Amino acid sequence: MGRIGEVQAPVATRDALARGRLRASLVPDLLVEARRIVNTVIAGWHGRRKRGIGENFWQFRPYVEGDASRIDWRRSARDDHTYVRDREWEAAHTVWLWSDPSPSMLYKSAGAGVSKESRALVLALALAELLSRSGERIAWPGLTDPFTARNGAERIAAQLSHAGNLAAKPDLSAIRRFCDIVIVSDFLDPVEETMAWLDVLARHGVRAHLIEVADPAEETFPYAGRTEFTDPETGDKLTAGRAETLKDEYRLLYIARRQELAGWCKRLGWSFTVNHTDRLASEALVRVHMAMTADSSRPGLTSGHAGLTAGGDAGKAVA
Amino acid sequence: MSWLPLSFGAPMVLWGLLALPVIWYLLRLTPPRPRTEVFPPLRILARVLRREETPHQSPWWLTLLRLLMAALIVTALAEPIFNPREKLPAEGSALALVIDNDWASAADWGKRVATAERLIADAGSNGVPVVIAFTAEKPNAEIGPFDASAALDRLRAAKPRPIPTDRPAVYGRVAATLERLPGASVAVLADGLAANGDEAAFKTLLEKNAARLVWATSDRLSVTGLTGADNQVDGFTLTAIRAPGDPAPAQVTAGAFDDKGRRIADATLTFAPGQATATGTMRVPFELRNDFASIALDGEHQAGAVRVLDESSKRRRVGLLSQAEADQAQPLLSPLYYIRRALQPFADLVEPSSADLADAIPQLLDQKPAMIIMADVGTIPAQVRQRLVDWVNNGGTLVRFAGSRLAAAGNDDDLLPVRLRSGERALGGALSWTTPQPVIEFPKNGPFADLAPPTEVTVSRQVLAEPTPDIVERTWATLADGTPLVTGMKKDKGTLVLFHVTPEATWSNLPISGSFVEMLRRIVQLSRNQGAAVANAEAAAASLAPYRMIGADGALVPPTPDARPLVPAAGLLPVTLENPPGLYGSETGVFAHNLLNASSTFAPLARPQISLPVTAIPYAFDESENLKGPLVTLALLLMVLDTLAVFWMGGLFSRRPRRAAATAAAVLIVFGGLFGHADLARADDSKPGDSQAIEDISKTRIAYVITGEPGVDSISRAGLEGLTRFLIEKTALEPGPPAGVDISKDELTFYPLIYWPIDATAPMPSQAAIARIDAYMQQGGTVLFDTRDQFSNGIGAGSASPATERLRDILGNLNVPPLEPVPSDHVLTKSFFILPEFPGRFNGSPLWVEASLDASNTENRPVRTGDGVSPIMITGNDFAGAWAVDENGDAMLPTVPPDPMQRVYALRAGVNIMMYMLTGNYKSDQVHVPVLLERLGQ
Repeated sequence: MGRIGEVQAPVATRDALARGRLRASLVPDLLVEARRIVNTVIAGWHGRRKRGIGENFWQFRPYVEGDASRIDWRRSARDDHTYVRDREWEAAHTVWLWSDPSPSMLYKSAGAGVSKESRALVLALALAELLSRSGERIAWPGLTDPFTARNGAERIAAQLSHAGNLAAKPDLSAIRRFCDIVIVSDFLDPVEETMAWLDVLARHGVRAHLIEVADPAEETFPYAGRTEFTDPETGDKLTAGRAETLKDEYRLLYIARRQELAGWCKRLGWSFTVNHTDRLASEALVRVHMAMTADSSRPGLTSGHAGLTAGGDAGKAVA
Repeated sequence: MSWLPLSFGAPMVLWGLLALPVIWYLLRLTPPRPRTEVFPPLRILARVLRREETPHQSPWWLTLLRLLMAALIVTALAEPIFNPREKLPAEGSALALVIDNDWASAADWGKRVATAERLIADAGSNGVPVVIAFTAEKPNAEIGPFDASAALDRLRAAKPRPIPTDRPAVYGRVAATLERLPGASVAVLADGLAANGDEAAFKTLLEKNAARLVWATSDRLSVTGLTGADNQVDGFTLTAIRAPGDPAPAQVTAGAFDDKGRRIADATLTFAPGQATATGTMRVPFELRNDFASIALDGEHQAGAVRVLDESSKRRRVGLLSQAEADQAQPLLSPLYYIRRALQPFADLVEPSSADLADAIPQLLDQKPAMIIMADVGTIPAQVRQRLVDWVNNGGTLVRFAGSRLAAAGNDDDLLPVRLRSGERALGGALSWTTPQPVIEFPKNGPFADLAPPTEVTVSRQVLAEPTPDIVERTWATLADGTPLVTGMKKDKGTLVLFHVTPEATWSNLPISGSFVEMLRRIVQLSRNQGAAVANAEAAAASLAPYRMIGADGALVPPTPDARPLVPAAGLLPVTLENPPGLYGSETGVFAHNLLNASSTFAPLARPQISLPVTAIPYAFDESENLKGPLVTLALLLMVLDTLAVFWMGGLFSRRPRRAAATAAAVLIVFGGLFGHADLARADDSKPGDSQAIEDISKTRIAYVITGEPGVDSISRAGLEGLTRFLIEKTALEPGPPAGVDISKDELTFYPLIYWPIDATAPMPSQAAIARIDAYMQQGGTVLFDTRDQFSNGIGAGSASPATERLRDILGNLNVPPLEPVPSDHVLTKSFFILPEFPGRFNGSPLWVEASLDASNTENRPVRTGDGVSPIMITGNDFAGAWAVDENGDAMLPTVPPDPMQRVYALRAGVNIMMYMLTGNYKSDQVHVPVLLERLGQ
């Protein structure tokens, strides 16, 4: 019997970009729901389906006494009323993207199509492509500041390929409220460590989307017989005499970790998505897409735990 | 190893057992190597794994298993032999060992030595002297008594001899020795073969001083000997013998070897169950047989299974005599030319140096030839005549050819097989009515009986035999007119043969035919060499030096120091130590001296009937057993056990269900592959068009002929569609959609009725298509021809529309029965509806059907009886036009005259026709129903 799992070489970013583009083309343009009317003056390309400042025509509105807008005389000349031309409000939103570069992500089992790292990068770049296509500002913690560009995914990919060793856990304190962040990782560290790392986001009122990339072998534990397990990050070794006896207990712990993390996210109003590397990346992409475009004011998604966030106001908004 | 009856073939290997502690040390230290796996969630796993401790050492029982395995392999490599034996009782004042070391003991000599060694060892431990004697040694060999070690030396120095035993002499000497050692144990290690004087010998040996007898013999006499090898006409005949009374069949292979020891021929000899003699023939060409130097049985390593061959079984010497050797410038006219060319490949030709017969004949006879050929020798000088006659009488073969000299010479009863008429007879000459005579089939009694007759040979001149009563049986070849061509007779031991033609191609073309070679060859094979031709005859007669001896193991060896020259004498020469079997003489000529002769048999040696206590022992190693195989098997079993244990420890069996399923699947696949292979011939017998055919016969369909005229075809289709609807509406028949058929290629037999609208503008169907229609009608189908021309016929009886003309053309090529308009009592008028007439779009044209000439309606019943369905119907009423409907069910064409009822009648006519097609004369039998019901009621 051959080995079940192996450590893959890191995926080439250009390759991941191409695959990310492919995934992104399967998802409609991402329209991030703006949560605040006031927050930024930076113009985006996509209309908000609301009246506001912008270049494109939105509607003709009857002139009301005291209206500051200019009367559109060409329209008003056609009947007895006077009209004002409204323009559609166009605004951009900042979304931070990050995928876990740690060595444990390089793992790929026999049943999986790609390594976890490859999948995570594909997801992140696919989101970058989607977001920059719809004019959002995107950023990569520890790599770039927020920027707007049509070719945002390409720029991120280029920077990633030229970046040296990225921090295993970048400092997230620079991320301000009303931003979104997408974190793609395997979240195999103890839940407490992960929570402590992400707590700063919760305090800043950032809406986070966690994507756990899981290898099927990690979840089903298909090992049997005398087996020596090696941790790819620390190099620790463990030898199990009869690995199949550990299966049930291990699975309990593994699932419990995931559920604890998911429950925490749910309390904060964040989304938590699991993507297995033997499934399609598009599944996770669609779910995250839905979570980002979901109306934040929908009561079903609202979390009551405002205390965990920076302020009560923001807590509601984040949900 | 005295405490265990175990001996080792390679005892040094046992030192390998010293490695066991090292193996033990290594095994203890090394646990089975784990599989290494990368596993990112190791920290989660670590929380689970904390409670399990991994073994750092193999369990003690696994170590023990492996050590045992290693020990077994080491022991097996040392080739242990388990060799049980029982001790002999320590009795007697001395041990007298009498061992047969003749040829029959050679094959298993080692066993005899081992047995004797044991006996000597026992005697040595008892401290008694040993007398050791061999029955095939020189009579003056020392026999003891010796002490045990000296006896062992003697034993090891002894070897088997390729000669028979001489028991009486040796036993006598042993008995004489025992006189000084009364009360000795006598051990007889016999070879199992009885010989002359055995009883007396045993009596001498055992009667006086023997205290007990130890009798060792093989339980079965397994030697096979070759007693005869005879060069026959078509092969070497071999005779082999074995011990009598063996109930099992046996097969031995004999090989023939040339003087360099190369194997050149094989033969198989089969002993029938219970038979002691087997014969076989080596069928090899004559030329090859002459190279045989010895013949040996395979697998028998003893002298009795080998025979050496000498000159007497080799090429025949043939002497050639001619009175007139023609000048060498014309060799083809030499009388001996063709004879030489024919005989050279398989005979040694001897020719005299002198041309004078008085000198030449004695010269030839000195060479002791098998055969002398005289080519046209007339008179034989009187001084040598008697020698020649004696030579013939002693077995020589004299072949004479005719010629002018012989014809002129007088008769010679002693040297000619038949009396000859003087003069020769010419056939087919210029002044003769006769023609040259061909040779007919060879007579059955002659030696040429199985040769093919030479049809190309003709004889134009010959000498004639006087007709005598025995001329027929002396005739070996005959001409077509019955005169003999070759005559021959046995004279005493010899043979006289006369060819009635010349040996050159003047009198006949026999000498230049292939049959001439065959005939001469046959005669040569009948002849026998008359003694060995030895260069130095005087010295040779005195003695023959040993040349090649047969060793005790059956190999040809140089002469032993004991061998003495052989003095040939009459009768069988004895095989002794001085004259062991083998070849005597020199390279120029040898004499074969063989161990067994034609009268030899293998009689088993019986144990002597005496009053002494007897211990019968088997030969050593008869019950020994090589333990290597069992030990290796045991080690392999332990290895399997070890593998299973390792698998179990590795947790392989905990996933048994999946594994079992996989195994079962694999086994099923293998068995499926072995037995369940699909029979390809049966798997797919579909042919193109099957689906169409199945569709056509799944439902009854009415067919119409596609004429190629689109208007006509669409009306036909619509008409049959309308009829189909009407049938479904009114009757139990639910036909499928109408089928258009191309009569030149579509299969027609699927349809009960084919509607054929005749259109003069359509192309005339081909002859092949009409033939198909004809076959369809013959096979029971019906064609409904519709000329659709009721109102377009011209005026006058002889006029015919183009469609009718076309119909006549078509019918001219068909086998059309006599026709008649449907009579009023025909079953067509009543098969569903009662119809007096059959209108279509037009009215008035009769419907023509086959005339039922033999039908009768004597009782004035409503329907005439009669069998069969008319294969043809002809109308001019345009049925299809009346039936035709569009998708909505509305009629497409008007009737003429426009009468709605006429359309209904037309449809009814169609129904009647279809019912008539499908039920035949069933309706005509319906008239009997009232009568039948009445009878049933009674």
